[in-house]
Amino acid sequence: MKLNELSNLDTDYSYGFLDPYAKRELRRRILKGIAIPGYQVPYASRELPIARGWGTGGLQVTLSLVGPDDNIKVIDQGADDSVNAANLRRFVTRMSGAETTDDANSATLIQSRHRIPEEILQEGQVLILQVPDPEPLRRVESDMAKSRILHADADYGQMWLVLYEQLVRFGRYIQGTSYPVMVHDRYVMSPSPIPRWDTPELHQSHHLTILSAGREKRLYAVPPYTNVFPLEFTDVPFEVEDQSGWQCRVTEAVNKFMNELPQDDGTSQYELSDTGYLRKLVARKNDDPVSIGQTYYNEEGEFYHEGYLKKPHPQA
Amino acid sequence: MAYVATKGGEHAIQESEKLFHDLKGDVNRQVVESIMDTMPYLVDRVMGEGSLYSPELAALAIAQSGGDIYEAVLLMRAYRSTQPRIAYAKPLNVNHMLTVRRISAAFKDIPGGQMLGPSLDYSHRILDLSLLTDEPKQKEPVESAENPAPSSYPLVAEWLRKQELMAEIEHQAEIDPADIPDVTRDPVAIPAPRAHRLQALSRADTGGVLALGYASMRGYGFIHPTVNELRLAHAEVEVQHPVTGQNFGIGRMRVSQAEVITKGKTGYSLGFTATMGWNETKLIAGATLDMEMNHTASHPALSEDFVMYHTEPIESHGFCNHFKLPHYVTFSSSMDNMRKIIKTMYGQKAAGIREDEATDEVASAPTVTKDTI
Repeated sequence: MKLNELSNLDTDYSYGFLDPYAKRELRRRILKGIAIPGYQVPYASRELPIARGWGTGGLQVTLSLVGPDDNIKVIDQGADDSVNAANLRRFVTRMSGAETTDDANSATLIQSRHRIPEEILQEGQVLILQVPDPEPLRRVESDMAKSRILHADADYGQMWLVLYEQLVRFGRYIQGTSYPVMVHDRYVMSPSPIPRWDTPELHQSHHLTILSAGREKRLYAVPPYTNVFPLEFTDVPFEVEDQSGWQCRVTEAVNKFMNELPQDDGTSQYELSDTGYLRKLVARKNDDPVSIGQTYYNEEGEFYHEGYLKKPHPQA
Repeated sequence: MAYVATKGGEHAIQESEKLFHDLKGDVNRQVVESIMDTMPYLVDRVMGEGSLYSPELAALAIAQSGGDIYEAVLLMRAYRSTQPRIAYAKPLNVNHMLTVRRISAAFKDIPGGQMLGPSLDYSHRILDLSLLTDEPKQKEPVESAENPAPSSYPLVAEWLRKQELMAEIEHQAEIDPADIPDVTRDPVAIPAPRAHRLQALSRADTGGVLALGYASMRGYGFIHPTVNELRLAHAEVEVQHPVTGQNFGIGRMRVSQAEVITKGKTGYSLGFTATMGWNETKLIAGATLDMEMNHTASHPALSEDFVMYHTEPIESHGFCNHFKLPHYVTFSSSMDNMRKIIKTMYGQKAAGIREDEATDEVASAPTVTKDTI
């Protein structure tokens, strides 16, 4: 045995880029996050060769979970071919040798920014959401030491006040993405900037969701089959984005989350945000062999957990 | 499980990177060495913020990133993540450093004497256009002093402590370096251990520390910083040999530190910042902030939480630039609300809905309307 054989001079990086200690720390933090649904677990957050704020939190989780047999899907705003998604995918495969896919059904790990795929994720799949700001209480309490105390006391009165003020000022809840949710009847959690359309998909899901903020050094999780409810007053229900009447210009699909594309004449066209799902619908249209899973919302726009989304209350 | 070829995105980012590198000349060892030789302060800043002492790698990072300092710092930090931690150095003792500049604003003269050392403080800031020629121009040689300067100097703070103007440091039993809280390995919680705070300042963005430190100095803070001592030095770094147990030197590095003092309740209190490389601006602003963070009711922008989170160079740089990423899902969700608010409060027409496609939703809208608010 020679010294240079022991010192691994040819290896620029360890498997999955992160050193084994960093991976062990992350896995332990993830387990803690799963054990306490919705609780923000602090972690050290290593620096990666990707800019901070560009998915390094999600990436650290992906790198600590990935193995050579994994099949990775990376999306940004629903799109597999977005430049940042392509860059993250390129990095994960370079560091892990894992395969990649744009099929949400066959992926083992899905790293995503701002979307959950349309097809219902299944047991064994892990969804990793990139999180810019893990703290749902930030707007009512910017001091992190104080917001931790509010979480410890389950003191969420100010969050309800915010919702009430929105109703008074605007006649509706005006939170767009990152709609605050109550997880397992205990912690108020930011679901990351997913649209409200995707928020219900975290409820009683078959898959595991891990949310990770690299810059803010916090991760948290929603284990499978956990209650996740948006904060809403009983008489003014939470509503998802209203895209009724929008039809995908490529696939003619309706009642799936769409991108609105401004046109020269001042009108809009629409296209499915989930590009993996879009490709499948195109394949089906062309009679190519394709397996399309059940979707969270059916053709009529009804969510698969019946009664979860309540109809607006008629006003007295 | 077939590999699905990535589409447009990947090719585009590769070409985009090539376009960036086309903007600058080729980088080679000569260029890197030239940066090391001619820009030690830039190299020091990148090493300090990059939290990795290697003038050669810092110069390479500067060259590779075309002089974008935040990118250079990110290159250093990312490289640092790949390096194993082999050993902990022995604590550096200021009395054993080769000090090349050491000044105190608090006293006219100090034990050991003021030593101006290398500085541009009293230079006339005039562009030297005569350097823009091909003729090699010799630098004026430094005149040696009559008496050689001492190689080490006592801390000015020690004199203040002897005079009982400043509290003595409580000496703690020596602790294992592995037990020192480490901001790069531990989750940060506020209030932070002092080790985290000093490490964060040491790695902080110079511009960010300056902005917040300056805010304190200009009047948003509680303190008037008096530079008790500012020091630039070369330090020998020693580690213990794992087999023989002997300490041995592994190299020399440029280090700098500042002590800033202000009036406290029971004497002068002291703020401290030290960093790898020589970076005087950061030290004075950082030491000011260190004191400011001790105040329980400091200005929010000078609190520990605010300072530590907002002066982190790669986090602030990364997040600021991430707004270039597509946010169309977020925006469309916001637009959904905006349309409904406008429709509810100002009617269909204001929401851009033509009469022929207007529904009678407004009349029957169950939500609160402008008139009922």
